[in-house]
Amino acid sequence: MIPKKKRTRLLSFLFLLLIAGLYVSLVKGSVKTNFVDLWNFLIHSDQTHAQIFIHLRLSRALLAFLVGASLSLSGAILQGYFQNPMAGPFVVGVSSGASFGAVLALILGLNMSFWGFSLQNVWAFASGFAIVSLVYILSQRRGVFKMETLLLTGIAAGALASSLTSFLIFFKSESFEQAVFWLLGSFQLADWNHIRVIFPIFILCFLISQWLAKDMNLLVMGDEIAQSLGCSVNQTRKIFLIVSTLLASSSVSVSGIIGFVGLIIPHWVRLLIGPDHRYLFFSSSIMGGVFLMFCDFLARTIFSGSELPIGIITAAVGAPFFIYLLNQRR
Amino acid sequence: MNTIFKYTAPALCLLFFLNPAIIGNQRLTIKDDLGDTHVFGSPPQRIISLAPNVTEILFALGLENKIIGVTRYCNHPKKAQTKNRIGGIVDPDLEKIIDLRPDLIIAFRGNPLRLIKRLKSLDLPVFVLEIGTTLESVFSLIQRIGLVTQRENAAKDLVAHLNGDLEKTRDRLKNVRTRPKVFINLHGKGLWTCGKNSFMNDLVREAKGTNIAGEVPRAWSNYNREELIHQNPDHIVVLAKIEKDYLEVKTWFVEEAHLESIHAVQKDKISFLNEDLVTRPGPRIFEAFDQLARILHPSSFEDDK
Repeated sequence: MIPKKKRTRLLSFLFLLLIAGLYVSLVKGSVKTNFVDLWNFLIHSDQTHAQIFIHLRLSRALLAFLVGASLSLSGAILQGYFQNPMAGPFVVGVSSGASFGAVLALILGLNMSFWGFSLQNVWAFASGFAIVSLVYILSQRRGVFKMETLLLTGIAAGALASSLTSFLIFFKSESFEQAVFWLLGSFQLADWNHIRVIFPIFILCFLISQWLAKDMNLLVMGDEIAQSLGCSVNQTRKIFLIVSTLLASSSVSVSGIIGFVGLIIPHWVRLLIGPDHRYLFFSSSIMGGVFLMFCDFLARTIFSGSELPIGIITAAVGAPFFIYLLNQRR
Repeated sequence: MNTIFKYTAPALCLLFFLNPAIIGNQRLTIKDDLGDTHVFGSPPQRIISLAPNVTEILFALGLENKIIGVTRYCNHPKKAQTKNRIGGIVDPDLEKIIDLRPDLIIAFRGNPLRLIKRLKSLDLPVFVLEIGTTLESVFSLIQRIGLVTQRENAAKDLVAHLNGDLEKTRDRLKNVRTRPKVFINLHGKGLWTCGKNSFMNDLVREAKGTNIAGEVPRAWSNYNREELIHQNPDHIVVLAKIEKDYLEVKTWFVEEAHLESIHAVQKDKISFLNEDLVTRPGPRIFEAFDQLARILHPSSFEDDK
């Protein structure tokens, strides 16, 4: 069906984009630097540039990559899981739920951390998981799964979680900045500690989903068929739900809610290379990472002197392109 | 063991007493309002301010030449506008800050905590100050800034001078017995006002007025229009950057807001107060205090001019 050549082409293209993205993220910024500065830094390692290159730009670019990869992997899993291209961490309510948990932990003062893994992440995961389970249970009617119900319940539950988050911020927060962070997302204060939190989670989830990708291919054909082909449906479903929630909630707890990535990237990749999850998971991750890295680069460089919340960029860049893509396919 | 101690003990004692002399200049250890300890050797030479009121205080302490960066909101004094802009209060540009190589960054608790933590994790010398909620807390703010910049004398003089201004105005008000009801209008037409734990609330109290939103437990709040009619304030004080904005808000109050029944609207007691003056707990807050006192109690100021 989909020739191997096409996949290789996409992956090598993405790899080139990744290198280019890392390069521009490192070289461009509000402090004027160029390739020579970067080179000098690598050779002579002077202190000021070390901070700018390593602690500000590199950590930020890598964090954007990891969050983008996590969100679109989470989206790819959810789209397979619910057999619906409209699913995504934001649509089924995971993101909003996780953001509510994170803000609640922050306000209750429960944000202590052990080995870089903070209790806030646990809260984000717990409430994200609670929301998605609720949505799942509510959208089943006598054992029959209804897609419209799923999407509507997801949107409603997400809106409820968002409103609770806004409520907490409105009454308890020290500043408006927090509202912008938790509701629109930002990498402005990215640092290596965030990467330490999200990197192991991403790798773990990625390996698990890659390992179970074959089973996902079966699940898409319907639970009975999957069962008859030797896949333990219930267990696999549980694992996938946990993995996708973990991915989305860990991203939210380091960067706030970033919409659109988890919805459009997996969809886009599926249009390009077909529905085989063995390749879909991997390519979505890379594509999502590169996409968000570029979006963050734009967010911090478009206007000198002030930054745009990244959610504005992801939607502004993503949506028109997505619509174009959908129309082309028709 | 004993003999070693016998010989070294006096030497140790001597060292202990000579210590400051040996080091030459004193090393200052000061805790900031987040509880973090800072050690200062020689006076800071490259200062970045993360708030307009801090910038105003630094200028008033004669530190003009030591300031290397201010926020985009720092517009006073005029010379502050010629300094490097490092971005906003909640979204400063970290790259620019690092590139300027500051040896002191003065932040306040209006800068988000996440931001302050990030600056600290980059090993930047951030000194965080609590602003307080009373007029007099400005004095301790000035003294703390004087201490970390090693301008204690200048700070002392400034405080004495400002305290003189404060007392002068207070003196005018000392025979005032009635406290008119005041509604402070913060931004434009939204009926945003300041509650209990705000600086403005203390300003109104000091100016012998009653803030009708003074019981609202939050610092900032969106006031209810029915409640406004019910409370019936004698004065509405509109904070605005420029007179044009004030006139717009005033027109709204008089013509569109359906508040004709309010005393302040009926008697045309809708006044203008410069937003920058009032909202920045710095040296100019006492000017704002004087202006507000004149608005609320014009008769107490009749004999000067």
